[in-house]
Amino acid sequence: MKTPFQVMTGGDWLIVLTLLGVSVAGIAWLATAPKGTRVVVTSGDQTCFVADLDQPQSVDLDGPLGKTRLVIDETGAHVTSSPCPRKICISMGPARHSGDLLACVPNRIMVRIESPSGEDAPYDLLSR
Amino acid sequence: MPWNRPLIIGMILLLLALGWLRTNSGETELVRSSRLLMGTIVEIVVSGQNTGQLEAAVDDAFAEMARLDRLLSRHYQDSDVTRVSQGSKGGKVAPETAEVVALGLDVARRSNGAFDMTLGRLKTLWGIDQENPVVPTQEAIAEALEGVGFRALSLEGLNLVKQSPQLMVDLGGIAKGYIVDRAVVVLKNHGITSGAVNAGGDMYLLGQHPEHPWRIGIQHPREQGGILATVQVRDKAVVTSGDYERFFEQDGQRYHHIFDPETGSPARGCQSVTVITDSVALGDALATALFVLGPQKGLELLADYPGSEGLIVAADGTLHPSQGWADYQSAP
Repeated sequence: MKTPFQVMTGGDWLIVLTLLGVSVAGIAWLATAPKGTRVVVTSGDQTCFVADLDQPQSVDLDGPLGKTRLVIDETGAHVTSSPCPRKICISMGPARHSGDLLACVPNRIMVRIESPSGEDAPYDLLSR
Repeated sequence: MPWNRPLIIGMILLLLALGWLRTNSGETELVRSSRLLMGTIVEIVVSGQNTGQLEAAVDDAFAEMARLDRLLSRHYQDSDVTRVSQGSKGGKVAPETAEVVALGLDVARRSNGAFDMTLGRLKTLWGIDQENPVVPTQEAIAEALEGVGFRALSLEGLNLVKQSPQLMVDLGGIAKGYIVDRAVVVLKNHGITSGAVNAGGDMYLLGQHPEHPWRIGIQHPREQGGILATVQVRDKAVVTSGDYERFFEQDGQRYHHIFDPETGSPARGCQSVTVITDSVALGDALATALFVLGPQKGLELLADYPGSEGLIVAADGTLHPSQGWADYQSAP
C-alpha cells in the first residue's frame, strides 16, 4: 500500500503549501495584533505615537506651539509640561481607562486610551 | 481518486466557510472618531453593521458641529453672538441661534437669573481663558455687571434684543450642549440607533452600547483621575460642570469659570454638578444654574424639570443627589 506522500500530485503539494502559508500568515497577524491597553496620540489628523500603557516612559510630542511632554507611569498617561497658555491639559490629570481622553487644544494634541476588548474599563465614557 | 484528495478539498471548503463567516457574521462594528472643536476634544462613537454608513454619519455630524460653532461662539468675529454683542440694540440671528437662546432664556427665567447669557463682559474681565487671569477690582466687576442680567436680553422672532448697548452675549453655558444635540440629530438622520457624542464630558448617549447600557463615569471633583460615581443611561444627556475644569489660584483661593451673576465672582456653593436629562443643551444650562444656586435651591429647581436628575457635590464635599438619581447610579 502506498503512503499518502506517494499518491500526492504536484497540484496537491501546491494546495498544501498554500494552506500552510495562509496559516503561518494568520498566526503572525494574530501575534502582532494589539493585546493590551494602549496609549494612542494624534497630532492634527495624524497618529504620531502609540505605546503600551504598562510600559513606563516619557515622550515629547510636537505640536504647532512646541513640545508637549507625555509621561506614562503607574498612574496612567498624563501631560507633565506643555507650551500652551492655560495648562488645562496638565490639570486634566491621568488617563488610564479604555476610552479616557486627554487633549491640549492649543497644541493640537489628543491622547486616547484604547483597549482591544474594552473590558478593563469600569465605564465607557467619562463626564468631567 | 487518491484518498487524501477529498480531505484537502474539505479543508479548503472549511477555510472558505470560516472566512465567509468572519466577514459576514453580522458582527456589530464600532466607529470612534475624535476632533478638536469648540475649544475641547469632541468624540463620536457609533455602532452598527455598515462601516461606510457609520463613517459618513460621523463626518456629517462633525461638519454640523463645526458649522454651528461658527454661529454660536463669541470667539469668531462673524458669529451671530459676536455680531449681536457688537450691535447697540442686538440684531437678527439664525434660527439655530434663536432656538438655543430661547431655551437659555427659559432656564434663566425659571432659575431666577442663576443661568445668565449676558455675562460676556464679566467673563472677558476675569480672563479665565486667557494666559494671565487676575482677580478684578470690585469697581471693575460692578462696572461689568451694569446693564446685564437675564431680563436685559429678549427674543422677538429671530431678533435678539439687548436692553443695553454694552451687553455682550455669551452662550458658553449652553451652546456646546446644543451643538452636541444637533450632532445627535444628524446621526439619527443617518439611521444610527446606537452611539455617543461627547464634547469634553458633556455628552448624549443614543440607544445603548453594543454590549450593555452606556456606563458613564463621573469625575471626582477633588481626586485627580478619581471617579465619583458611575451611571447607566440610554437616550439621555449627561453633563457635568465643576470648579476644577478651568481655574486659577491667587492667594490660596481658587477662582473658576462658573460665575454667580449676583456677585460677579465665581460661584462658591458647589464643587461639581452632574445632570442627567433629555437634551445636552438643557443639561448644560441646568448644570450651570444648579452650580450657582447651590445644593438646596439647585435641587428645588431640578424638581421642576420632569425626567431630569442630578448629583451635586457641595463646597464642603457632601453629596446631594436628586430623588431619582439612584435609579441611574450603578457604582460605587
